[in-house]
Amino acid sequence: MSFDLREHTADVAVEATGPDLDAAFAAVADGLAAAMCEDVPDDGERFSLSVSAESREALLFDYLDELIYERDVRGVLPVDNEATVSRDGDEWTCEATARGVPLDAITAREIKAVTYSEMDLAETDEGWHAYVVFDV
Amino acid sequence: MTTYDADGITLEKVRDYVWEIPQEGGMNAPARVLASEALLEEIEQDKTLQQLKNSAHLPGVRKHAICMPDGHQGYGFPVGGVAGIDAEDGCISPGAVGYDVNCGVRMMTTNLSYDDVQGREEELVNNLFENIPSGLGGGGVVETGMDTIEAILERGMDWALEAGWAVEDDLAHCEDEGFRPEADADKVSKKAKDRGKNQVGSLGSGNHFLEVQRVTDVYREDVADSFGLEPDQIVVLIHCGSRGLGHQVCTDYLREIEQAHQGMLNQLPDKELAAAPAGSQLAEDYYGAMCAAINYAWVNRQLIMHRTRQVFERVFDQSWQEMEMDLLYDVAHNIAKKEVHTVEGGEERELFVHRKGATRAFPAGREEVPPAYNDVGQPIIIPGSMGAGSYVLRGGENSLAETFGSTAHGAGRLMSRTQAKNEYWGEDVRDELREQNQIYVKANSGATVAEEAPGVYKDVDEVVRVSDALGIGDKVARTFPVCNIKG
Repeated sequence: MSFDLREHTADVAVEATGPDLDAAFAAVADGLAAAMCEDVPDDGERFSLSVSAESREALLFDYLDELIYERDVRGVLPVDNEATVSRDGDEWTCEATARGVPLDAITAREIKAVTYSEMDLAETDEGWHAYVVFDV
Repeated sequence: MTTYDADGITLEKVRDYVWEIPQEGGMNAPARVLASEALLEEIEQDKTLQQLKNSAHLPGVRKHAICMPDGHQGYGFPVGGVAGIDAEDGCISPGAVGYDVNCGVRMMTTNLSYDDVQGREEELVNNLFENIPSGLGGGGVVETGMDTIEAILERGMDWALEAGWAVEDDLAHCEDEGFRPEADADKVSKKAKDRGKNQVGSLGSGNHFLEVQRVTDVYREDVADSFGLEPDQIVVLIHCGSRGLGHQVCTDYLREIEQAHQGMLNQLPDKELAAAPAGSQLAEDYYGAMCAAINYAWVNRQLIMHRTRQVFERVFDQSWQEMEMDLLYDVAHNIAKKEVHTVEGGEERELFVHRKGATRAFPAGREEVPPAYNDVGQPIIIPGSMGAGSYVLRGGENSLAETFGSTAHGAGRLMSRTQAKNEYWGEDVRDELREQNQIYVKANSGATVAEEAPGVYKDVDEVVRVSDALGIGDKVARTFPVCNIKG
């Protein structure tokens, strides 16, 4: 799994790939962290989160929104993300964990929110491809 | 007819600085770009024009969707976009307001001159930076509980007045007196309130900043006099919004509307434009929640301004009243408001005027302009980049006919953040600004300074020139940075 930060006039975009959906989700989340902070120390406790949504794309949106929410409420930057995506009929669920690096220990910039603009989440020959624009 | 071909989108010249994209396909109205050819050449570089066309697909959009001279690509709806959408048979779209509800600008005047500050810039910038929360996780001027958040959401600046963070005069010089009566705190999720609790009175990061500036030019003396502005005077400009609370309000309603109004969404070319039909429960709920977030943002800027007064008191050893540190005006630039405007066929309609990265610019006489400025037009504050001037304008006579009473909100970005970091090094930018322009910058992150380097922005002078030439926002005064703090 890997991610790249892509050009966007005002905001920032993350392009990510992974062999499966789990890896692609986690890679976008790691891209979100990288867009906020370039130099992340090794400390911080892991925490878990769980989100459910009505579609695969909506689940990715809600997962990233939840990470931003946890960042503000816990005062930590979620890094080293792991995600497990499952489907039960019309309901999609993401069970995830992240290491929360205390914000007061780092210099980080704020990403305000996740957007649907130009969002892509598609299966490719190599696995999954995701593209997400974040509001800075 | 003169046309401008922008990579598959043809614009027809209506007259100087006014370009039209004709209505076609699923568009419910034509779209207009207000720009000089020089600005249009920049605007066509990214997806601004496509996003503008997309925004004209929103049901009930009246007259035309408009891109201001500083327009650039955003998400869904372009930044610098204005759409007047019918409040009876149209819709309201959180994405067309933006995540940072009531992101805006306020300016405070003083009776200090540049001479009083020269030689003390370092002390001032350090004091401001230490006392005004900024950056990610930097906390707020006050830490609040749920009850206080509810009160801020419901009452806006009136809460700040009661709590001792404002004086009556501050309210009289704020858009809507710092209070949206339609605010409904119950429509703001617990998640949003949780995020807002420890951020009341904080700048955040990105392009938000606080700047001490000096007035360099006055273009309309009579209006400048009404605004209390004169050459060489020190003023303070504060640019920030509703922080995590507002971002969460937008996110929450975008998702709810997506699920409840799939039919309308299917007619729109971008999911980020998701809109609630006028009259629906979600339209009403979002409006109440957005108005509450608007109130929060006004309180946020008020607390930062109050703290700035305290810092000046310490540095200059005078009371803020002695230094006449008075609020000139506070304007929102991410907002949707119910306003009555004249539309096609001369009909008066109530509209949800969506302004995303655009400033209200009402001329003299319009009832919403506070009594202090009703004879001259509302003040408009247009921040430039760290190394360029900012401008104070007043609402122009033509704004109601051209733009639903709106004008630009800033310089507008030209270069992506990733490219900016490759081209600039934060420390170099800071040192150059100090050595060449006597501007003192202090930021949490060098990367932020690089991302916000003067070279990444459009020419604010040209943006303001076009606004003035169109008569939508008239040039009153120009200011230039002295000290700048950011997240």
